[in-house]
Amino acid sequence: MSGYLFRKAVADDIPFLADTVVAAEKSGSDKLSYCTLFNLPEEKARGFIKSMFEEEIDGCEFSVSSFIVAEYNGKPVAAFGGWVETINEDNMPSNMLKSNLISFTFGKEALAFLKTKAAAIAELVSEREPLALQLEYLYVSDEHRGKGLSNQLITELEKAAAAIYPAVSKVQVQVYSNNDGAIAVYKKNGFHIGRTYKASNDEVLQLLPWNEKYIMEKELKK
Amino acid sequence: MEKNEIVEKIRVILVNVLKHENFEMADSLSAAQVNGWDSLTHMIIITDIENAFGIQFKLKELNKLNNMGNLVDLIQTKLG
Repeated sequence: MSGYLFRKAVADDIPFLADTVVAAEKSGSDKLSYCTLFNLPEEKARGFIKSMFEEEIDGCEFSVSSFIVAEYNGKPVAAFGGWVETINEDNMPSNMLKSNLISFTFGKEALAFLKTKAAAIAELVSEREPLALQLEYLYVSDEHRGKGLSNQLITELEKAAAAIYPAVSKVQVQVYSNNDGAIAVYKKNGFHIGRTYKASNDEVLQLLPWNEKYIMEKELKK
Repeated sequence: MEKNEIVEKIRVILVNVLKHENFEMADSLSAAQVNGWDSLTHMIIITDIENAFGIQFKLKELNKLNNMGNLVDLIQTKLG
């Protein structure tokens, strides 16, 4: 782990965080939900993702303040987001903050397109457990894989969560069930599969990386 | 626009998006209490409300909304 610096993300990291979201959301596939569900080219979607980070809304997956970045030679090479659910300015569920950000940012045309795809993905919509640490968007750049950065990012996010909300007792992460690499990382870190969400509509595979996802979770030691 | 007119317009949107009528349009009604009003349908509901009333919500306004009463008041204010 020598040579790596772990720190909270700052506004200057937004381009890297947008890359992180795009790579993590694709989950090894070529399907980016922010393109497929909103009928947007990837560069446009990436621009909107940056805009959402720039709004400085805390407490969700598009909050700069949620992310820990691993830096190598002064450059970000890995990142992972995490926040304690509903611990934010208005005690809002993070999914609602995210939905508000998307409604506000993506524009009427994109939202009208979402309407035509909503039924296909509805079974994969999961709300998040209040007061649990929620992890989202793990990305490690290719040349820095296999060095334990994911494990260290999880540890750092758990520490940061306990500093904000000392009673935090659970951590959860959502992962597509075909993402063996990520599942192995989480299992190694003590997570087990909590719930499974499966979409029965075949159109899902045109829209999302996979048609089944797990909520993986673990208890945090006091 | 009268408050009851606004409430009725929102009710029609909710029925249209959620495909059921199992909710009472009380001021205290929150999204969490309505079957199917989740993060996905929320985006559609917000957009449909903006289109129906010809208004545009600010992000900070959306993030402060926690029940039907707030939503109706906000729409009434925006309609001036």
